[in-house]
Parts: sequence; structure tokens; C-alpha cells
Amino acid sequence: MSNKKIWKIFFLAPIIIYVALLIALPLCYILLISFFKSDYYGGMISTFTIQNYIDVFDQVYVSVFLKSILIAGITTIICILISYPFVIAVSHKHPRTQKILMTLVMVPFLTNSLIRMYGWLVLLRKSGVINQVLLGTGIISEPLSLMYNIPGILIGMVYTLLPFMILPLYSSVSTIEPYLLEAASDLGASKIKTFFKIIVPQTLPGLFNGSLMVFTPALGYFFIIDILGGGKMMILGNLIKNQFLTARNWPFGAAISIILVLITSLIILAYRKLGGKMDDLGGA
Amino acid sequence: MKKVMKISITIGCILGICLLSGCSKETNQVVNVLNWSSYIPDSVIREFEKETGLQVNYSTYSSNEECLAKVSSAKEGTYDLIFPSDYMIEIMIKREMLEPLEQNKLQNINNIDSFYLNQSFDPENKYSIPFVMASTVIAVNREHISDDITSYQDLLNENYRNNITLIDDQRIIIGIALLANGYDMNTVNEEELEIAKDWLLKLKPNIKAFDSDSPKNFLITEESDIAVLWNAEAALAYQENHNIEFIYPVEGSALSMDNFAIPKGARNQEAAYQFIDYILRADVMEKIIKSYPYKNVNQATQSLLGPDYLYNIASNIPTSIIENGFYVKNIGESVKLYDKLWAEIK
Repeated sequence: MSNKKIWKIFFLAPIIIYVALLIALPLCYILLISFFKSDYYGGMISTFTIQNYIDVFDQVYVSVFLKSILIAGITTIICILISYPFVIAVSHKHPRTQKILMTLVMVPFLTNSLIRMYGWLVLLRKSGVINQVLLGTGIISEPLSLMYNIPGILIGMVYTLLPFMILPLYSSVSTIEPYLLEAASDLGASKIKTFFKIIVPQTLPGLFNGSLMVFTPALGYFFIIDILGGGKMMILGNLIKNQFLTARNWPFGAAISIILVLITSLIILAYRKLGGKMDDLGGA
Repeated sequence: MKKVMKISITIGCILGICLLSGCSKETNQVVNVLNWSSYIPDSVIREFEKETGLQVNYSTYSSNEECLAKVSSAKEGTYDLIFPSDYMIEIMIKREMLEPLEQNKLQNINNIDSFYLNQSFDPENKYSIPFVMASTVIAVNREHISDDITSYQDLLNENYRNNITLIDDQRIIIGIALLANGYDMNTVNEEELEIAKDWLLKLKPNIKAFDSDSPKNFLITEESDIAVLWNAEAALAYQENHNIEFIYPVEGSALSMDNFAIPKGARNQEAAYQFIDYILRADVMEKIIKSYPYKNVNQATQSLLGPDYLYNIASNIPTSIIENGFYVKNIGESVKLYDKLWAEIK
């Protein structure tokens, strides 16, 4: 074995062990128990049944899937609409300013997301900062309902997941050669045309990567539903959490998780079928 | 040479520290307590440690199911003392997860009011001893709501749109819907559950939020004017806002009793008994109840509690309410029906 190869293995080993131990192994366990049966006393009976998967297709649970996909979809679209203008504006700045702005995008990660959600509570509640200011200045006469409803959920989701859209999109946008934009403008393309004909096609991998990173967690972020949504909606995250904690039905929770993994895999598969490259998803 | 010296001294120091800490662990007896979050003030635990020289390893959970999951997934003997509620005691007895208790090891056992002993989930208190009791209650902010509220049905009033907070607990809330319609809180009859579902869907426009972490905050910040919550939470909300009134609906309330229990194979059982006995002391229980005003079941403590506690029906639940109340019972596989119904409501 050449020296280079040994070094390669040496540096890859921690990642391989990490992925195998903390991601692959638990996933295999989830797959395994999704075929078990619950004894409803918090234990499992190790048989082989596909009943859990049949139960998922009950109309009630299908509607939970659809609701989750809708919320995650709207979240993704809002994130795209905010991110594009932002990253394009940033990419025109001086390199040093770019670095500072992108660092600012990442600063919120330094605080736990749960704590940041409670921060929003202080802003959005009936007697919160936003309502106080609007009432005080006479813009509104009745406090606005900004949370414990769908807008509240979307505020929380978009706020938490926006950096995951901005970062890949930014790395895509920054690879666009400036002469392409210059050529477009020289040839008389309008700004809108330049955006759709040059920027969007060039940033498609980043856009897809960002969408995936926003959409997938949005299906499962139950704490946002619980805190800013007032626990009034059930998405996949809440459903899975309930199976493990209140319904004492781990196998059913596992089956829902596996279907969630399948949905995500299907999206990636569709991306590849459409001609996307997996390498591009690693962040260009 | 100097470098070698430095390194060896450092290693020596590290080894020394490791050895010393290893020693101290062996001489110091510990007790591993797994309890509900915000149930026993930290000061009580520190005083217990000072008095007995035992070290308390304290960890918490926020639902009975979490307690069950923690105990059953950990190595046997990890926990010495747990505090499951009524139906969870029943489940744990069925799964043979608890040690039978030797009541003669507890000097203060007679402090417990016999009214709270011999409950259906553990008829002879063979595995559990009551710690505190709780009941659901309707709390109303009288500054904003002056209507007469006596029944769960009154919550359907259209004027309460987006103004009611409920605890986020499927068995309790579906149970309340069943009580409102005159059914058993633990029914497994699908038709009755269907009616409960329709009732909750009718209530839904009035619901501001489901919250189990801190429903009292909704009352304190006046985010909502009505809440169905546990009595101690309501009593704490009252401390902040004296406009809050408590109503025990005529249909009855949901009850819960939390109990001391020793998990099977606990390694420090003697220490666990010492801890239980300490908590059962009148003055210790007084401190706990003053911080977390649940229903006290300790008759020796009762005389120490002031009028603030005794005359507040949210903390000192009247006996008639307890007699008219219902416990959540283990319903086995039928929990599936409740779970599905809960997904339909949300």
C-alpha cells in the first residue's frame, strides 16, 4: 500500500466510523424495529409484520403527510424568494464585505435554536415587542395574531432554515463568471432575463441543495410547531415523537421515519434523473 | 531532559487526580434519583446531602412515557428512585419493573394521609407510596371574562374564540371531551370517542394553544383568558395575577397521583429509602409544597402550610373534587384509537 493511501484511510477513518456508528447503525435499527409489533407497555414484540406500514396509509396519517409537505413546501419557497436577492446583492460587494455578511448569516447558529424560538415568543406575543410598537405608534388598534397559527409556524421555520438556503446558493452564485453577466447586458438582455437565463441555470445545483436542506428538516421540526404554532398542528415530526413518547408505539414511529427517509431519497433520485450531479450537492 | 521531566510530571498529576477521584467515588454513597422536572427544589436536595453525606445524582423527565423509556432502556440498577404516576405504576408492575417496598424501613410512613393510600393502581401500596397529587382545573381571568362557567360545555361559547389554552396531553384532553359528553374518561368505545372528537373539533376555534411546558405563562402574560391546566400551574399563575379564578367543572376533573417507586435491581436501595423518608418528613414536604403547590398528601405537613395554600382551591384541592375525579387508566392497545383521534383533531 502506498504511503498516500494509508494517509487517506487515516484521515477518512473518523468520518467513516462516525457515519457508521451514529447514522447507519441507528437507521438499520429503526428499519428493523419498523417490522416489529408494539406491546403498548413501552416494549416491542420481535415478529415480522408489515402492519405498521399499512397503518401509515390510513387517511388520518396521510393527511399529516400532506400537511407537512405543504408547510415544508411553503417554507422552501419563501426561503428561495428571500435568498436569491440576498445572495445576488452580496455577491456584488467587495470580497471583504462578502465575508462579513456571510459570517453574519451564520452567527445565529451560535445560539441553540430552541432558545431562539423562545426569543421569538417575546417578539410575537400579544403583549410582545412588535405589537407594542405597532399599537404605540397607532398603526394598529388591536394586537395582531402573529403566533399560535400558521403564520407563526412559517416565521419560525423560515427564520430557522434560511441559512441552509443562503449558504449553498451563495456558493453557487459566487462561481458565476462576471463576464457572463457582462455579455448578457452587452447583448441587451434585461435584468429579469439575465436572472432566468443565466443566474438560475448556473445556480440550479445550489438551489436544489438548499431546497433539500430546508425542505427535509421542515418536515420534522416539531419544536417550532409546539412553541410558535401552539401545538395546534401535527406534522411528521410531532407524529413520530408521539409514537415514541405518548403512544408507546415505537415500531409505528419507526415505520413513519423510514417512509420519511424514502421520500427524501426519492427527491434526490428525481434530481439525478433530471441530470443533476451528486457532486454538485456537496456545495460547489 | 527538562521537557521529559515536564511531561512526566504532567502525566503523574493527571494519574493522581484520576486515582483520587476514583477513591472518593467508592467511599461516597450515592442515590440516583429520576424525577419530574420542577418537582423538588434544589435546596431540599442539597440539605439532604448535607444531612446524610449521601450524594444525589438527580436527573429529570417530563412525561411518564419518558420515565418508562429511560428506566427500561438503561442498564438495570441505573436508577434507585423514580416518581411515576398512577397508570404508569400499573404498567411498571405488569412489566415487573419495580421492587416491592419495605414500608417498615420508613419511619415517616404514617405521615401520609390514609385517604390517599390503597389506590386501584396499587391496591396495597406494595410497590408505590404517594408523593403528591394533581388535578386539572379551569382557570379563568375574571378581569376579561365574567360569564358563569361551571361545565366543560361552557368552553364552547363563541365569545372565547382563540382564547383557551389546553395542556398538550392527548389522554387528558380527549378524556375531558368524553367527560363533557357524559362518558367514561377511559372509554375504548369507538362511537363515544367519535362524539368526543366532534366535540373537540367544535372547541378547536376557541383553542389558542396546546402547551404542557408552561401553560401558566399564557395566563400570566394574558395571552389567553381561559386555560385547562394542572392545579399547581394554576396556583402559580394566581401568584402573579390575582384576577384568576379556579373552576372545577361539574363533570369531574382528571386526577393524577405521583408516587415513590424503586426500580427493579436498584443498587442503592438503602439510600433510596433514606431519601423517601427524608421527603416524607413534615418540614421537608412543606418546603416542596411551598415551591410547587400540588396537592399535599402528607397530614403532618398540612398544619404547617399557611392560609395562602390551604384556602386556595387550586393548590389544596377539596376532597369532594378528588372524590368526583378520574384517573387516566392504562388501556393497552386501545391507546392507538386515542393517538389517531389526536392526529385528526390537530
